Amino acid sequence: MKRRLFLALPGAGLLLPAQGRLDDALLEAMSAELERSLRLKIAGETPYFIEYMIEDGVNFSCQASLGGLLGSSVSPYRVPRVMVRVGSYEFDNTNFVYTGQIRGARYDSNRWPLEFNRTQVQQDLWLATDRAYKAAVQEITLKKSALQNITLSEKLNDFAKQAPLVKILPAAKSSVDEKKWNDVARRLSAVLGDFPKVLDSRVEIEDSASTFYYANTEGTRVRVPELVCGIRVRAQAFASDGAVIRDHRFFHGFRLEQLPSEAVMRQEIEAMGRHLTALVDASPGEAYTGPVLFESTAAAQLFGQVFGAQLQAMRDPVSVPGRPVNAPPSELESRLSGRVLPDTFTVTDDPNAVWKGRPLLGNCEADYEGVAPQKVVLVENGTLKGLLYSRQPVRGHEGSNGHGRMPGGFGAAASVPTNLIVECKDGVSPGDLKKKLLELVTQRRKPYGILVRRMDYPSSASMVELRRLANAMQGSGSSRPVSSPLEIFKVYPDGREEPIRGVRFRGVNVRLLRDILAVGNDAAPMEYLLNTAPLALMGAGGYVVGTSVVCPSLLFDEMDLERPQEERPRPPVVAPPPLESGA
Amino acid sequence: MRGPGKQRVPRAGAEGGSATSVICWRDMPRVAQLLLRRVRKSVSIVVLAAGAVSAAETPKLVDILSSELDRNFRTLQEKGDPKPYFAAYAVTDNQLISLESTSGLLAGKDSRHIRSLDVTVRVGTPKLDNYHRQPRDIAHFTLGSVVSLDDNPNALKRRLWLDTDAVYRSAAQRLTNIKTDTQVKVDAQDQSDDFSTAEPSVAFRAVPEIKVNEKQWADRLRNWSRKLSSAPEILNSTVSFQAQREVKTFVNTDGTRLQHGRTFARIIISARSKAFDGMDLATSDTIEADEPGRLPDPKVVDARIDKVMADLRGLLRAPEVDPFVGPAILSGRASGVFFHEIFGHRIEGHRQKDESEGQTFTKRVNKEVLPDFLSVFFDPTLHHYANEDLYGWYDYDDEGVKARRVSVVESGILKTFLLSRSPIAGFPTSNGHGRRQAGAEIVARQSNLVVESSRKVPQPELRKMLIEEIKRQGKPYGLYFESVTGGYTTTRSVGLQAFTVIPLVVYRIYPDGRPDELVRGADIVGTPLASFAKILATSDKLEVFNGYCGAESGSVPVSASSPAILVSEIEVQRKNRSQDRPPLLPRPMPQSGGAE
Repeated sequence: MKRRLFLALPGAGLLLPAQGRLDDALLEAMSAELERSLRLKIAGETPYFIEYMIEDGVNFSCQASLGGLLGSSVSPYRVPRVMVRVGSYEFDNTNFVYTGQIRGARYDSNRWPLEFNRTQVQQDLWLATDRAYKAAVQEITLKKSALQNITLSEKLNDFAKQAPLVKILPAAKSSVDEKKWNDVARRLSAVLGDFPKVLDSRVEIEDSASTFYYANTEGTRVRVPELVCGIRVRAQAFASDGAVIRDHRFFHGFRLEQLPSEAVMRQEIEAMGRHLTALVDASPGEAYTGPVLFESTAAAQLFGQVFGAQLQAMRDPVSVPGRPVNAPPSELESRLSGRVLPDTFTVTDDPNAVWKGRPLLGNCEADYEGVAPQKVVLVENGTLKGLLYSRQPVRGHEGSNGHGRMPGGFGAAASVPTNLIVECKDGVSPGDLKKKLLELVTQRRKPYGILVRRMDYPSSASMVELRRLANAMQGSGSSRPVSSPLEIFKVYPDGREEPIRGVRFRGVNVRLLRDILAVGNDAAPMEYLLNTAPLALMGAGGYVVGTSVVCPSLLFDEMDLERPQEERPRPPVVAPPPLESGA
Repeated sequence: MRGPGKQRVPRAGAEGGSATSVICWRDMPRVAQLLLRRVRKSVSIVVLAAGAVSAAETPKLVDILSSELDRNFRTLQEKGDPKPYFAAYAVTDNQLISLESTSGLLAGKDSRHIRSLDVTVRVGTPKLDNYHRQPRDIAHFTLGSVVSLDDNPNALKRRLWLDTDAVYRSAAQRLTNIKTDTQVKVDAQDQSDDFSTAEPSVAFRAVPEIKVNEKQWADRLRNWSRKLSSAPEILNSTVSFQAQREVKTFVNTDGTRLQHGRTFARIIISARSKAFDGMDLATSDTIEADEPGRLPDPKVVDARIDKVMADLRGLLRAPEVDPFVGPAILSGRASGVFFHEIFGHRIEGHRQKDESEGQTFTKRVNKEVLPDFLSVFFDPTLHHYANEDLYGWYDYDDEGVKARRVSVVESGILKTFLLSRSPIAGFPTSNGHGRRQAGAEIVARQSNLVVESSRKVPQPELRKMLIEEIKRQGKPYGLYFESVTGGYTTTRSVGLQAFTVIPLVVYRIYPDGRPDELVRGADIVGTPLASFAKILATSDKLEVFNGYCGAESGSVPVSASSPAILVSEIEVQRKNRSQDRPPLLPRPMPQSGGAE
């Protein structure tokens, strides 16, 4: 995919790599200012670690509905971030409730000028470092005084040491033909004009080509391209009883040109239109307990949401007396070396995964802390072997495996997967798997079994679904709420499939995965964008990384479906306006 | 990496929903702030006039809106319960081009085009409908949806239909709540109707394109910002340029069919720094015109930049203001803001019938509210005044009512209020001041405010009068407010009926002939009625302040023109101050260390 130049400087410590060799004016300006900033000193506190990063890129996005363009924009951006740590690796200003909360007047730009100039870079870094340093000194002072009044249950270091990385790859180039993709959006959105029962729909095309620059006082120097693009199609309709029904399709990749052809996307959108139309008159599902088959796309969605989101070990920040802050513990953290999946399963996180000759969306050259991600065996023969780590020490582990890919809380990076590859030894064909489901149905004397083809997903869900997820999360105790199924069917013993709507899974947690009965041999990747705040609106200015889950179809022995308590708006008083063909 | 941004409608509704409404001037329109991130690549952008047509033919968008309005309204009247008696669609088509520069570098480029839809449905009767004012419950129905930029009937009609349904439902629900409420609460003092009749208007006016030579403007901005950043003590500075074209298409069930609009252009200069004791200081200036071609010659802007720089450098060395009560002169621009805040917002019609408002002037019609040498009028038909283009003009307000001059104070006597189609006791019809930002609900808002004086003296004379007043009061000095950045005021009855005006450049004027002395960190504070009584005289020279005013119905462009005023007493308080020190390390000097 890209030319790689990999230079590790083992044990370089605080040595800065020789300037000039990087052949990058921006990194050189960053290096110069890093060196100067180590001289900062007030109240006896000097920085022991400073890092600078800049995302330099161009975003393109356009939206259309029923053939009409809603908007289009191409926005270049250069967003800097400066982090200063005072104290030492053992004890610093982070992992404290006020870390990142103290903000002085800001004189550096939150968005750097589009044009490059060394004077501006150093001046902005100078002002940003000054501000971050003063905040860090205040934070460590407050943290020390808080610790005079509370006792910590365990003593963990605040920051893991890391050998420096020097990785200089060619910068990303943006080359989006705005007019062309506006027309694609118009054409794809017009497809749903042929489905009069689909009431509201939207096609969104997005492309982001950026270069991630990173430098720290340990000697790490990184310049890597980060490309991600996607086309999302969302639609909704009212069922005959007024319930709102939705469906979506999304296509993700590195470059718009590499996405499936327009003809393929059109077919997918038509399939979605047909499914939504069929759902309008489908019966609402009822409560169900019994076997459930997730086809590969839905299985990957379920696996990503239930398992992928639990791979970070959490750590409580130091809080002020009387106001403890507890991070929700990961379900997997306490199960290390324990069985979490059937013993035929192996799960790896592979930052360099290739699927049928094509690199997967989660591929990553350097994480948010400038660490190169390592391939991690997470589950071997059903036993949990490892988790994903950033440089934040957690109970029982210190040292990054390069998965701190996103900004996290209290000065740390959040660890998230790159490509989760789920493999299983005894996969059977999809046909045999469906047969197996029907056998279970007959055995248990159930009138029907359940088949799931597609789930909603936080990165593509509507606000309504996200709100529902948030509500479910509050009242769910130990189980993880998962998104609603979008394409779910009753399968009768004779093999007939009937679409149903308005149901959701209950009590889904990591433990459920141990009860997987059978697996398909049809693994397929689901690629998506992961957002820092899963409940924030996608694209609302947040930080996203590409991720993928490769998973075969999964047959579960027993799962619970419930009818969610949802309001049903009355259908509009006025009939929809007739659609004009060829408009 | 950054998530690709989602296009969002500039919304102002959130502000109107808060319990205490604070009304303020902003130096930068929110639309512009939201839009600033977007960019389109091309050297010279000519924005085509979408839908600009000769007055004779009906624009396609008007046809699409009116046919769908008729279809929805007819069925809702037939089948709806409660029935609507009025409906309107407004599509606001906004094109914005902006460029920003800092330290001689192009910092941001943005070119954005967005169309948003506002749907109004009134259910019940004009006597009592879903817009009935209720204390602490601000009516908000419109969704401000983004709609197709193409005049595509399928895309537009679906959105119109869906939004009409949603708006109709929330309208019906609020009316039910209001009917219950009015049975359990005491009668409001103002028993006027909720909606007035208005003559339908039909007009289609071509709106000029905005022509921006992007390269030329980028070069100018680079030069200006390089100059502004040349002062080493200034920590952050920007110069930006904005051009905007706004086309409003409006149809209602009275038969009004309108397409009209205007263009705006603006240069914004701003500089910030920190004084040795931690006080954050900023100076700025803005220059407005109807369109980019009418902005002043670059040399004029150069001089304004010199002034912004000189003011900030002066402020960094200036002594901090002491709390002060005494005589002062407010420059014409400062006085314009003063009148906009403490007077203009209090004569907005809807505040007179809202029981939770302070209602400073509600019962003062035909009584003296200002000194008898002052008159105030609002005139949205005025395009230029005192050799400046005005930001507050429009042909029709956002309810489709034709703009007209409204004389609110004549020789000190209050005559009327600013009115939308929401009538108030004694004032049954609109005077063309119903305004909103796309996405918000309409209320009465200001347009071009003009203060006229019959007791006017030349500026040097006014200064002499100030010195006499200082001596008469036995004060050590008086104050001269040269420029202000804006202000805010609270009009609600909960909380103080007070205002703050934020001055940028303030001088102490000594009675003994010492040179004027710049001071920093002053805020003007006061209460409205007390302040008016203290105006002694005015200068004979009018100055214009153009800006954006934010309130319940969002951010709308306005202007305020006034002569300088002499007041016998003004109160000044010290600004809040940061404790942070200026930067610890010296400014980096990369020129010696590496290549540019």
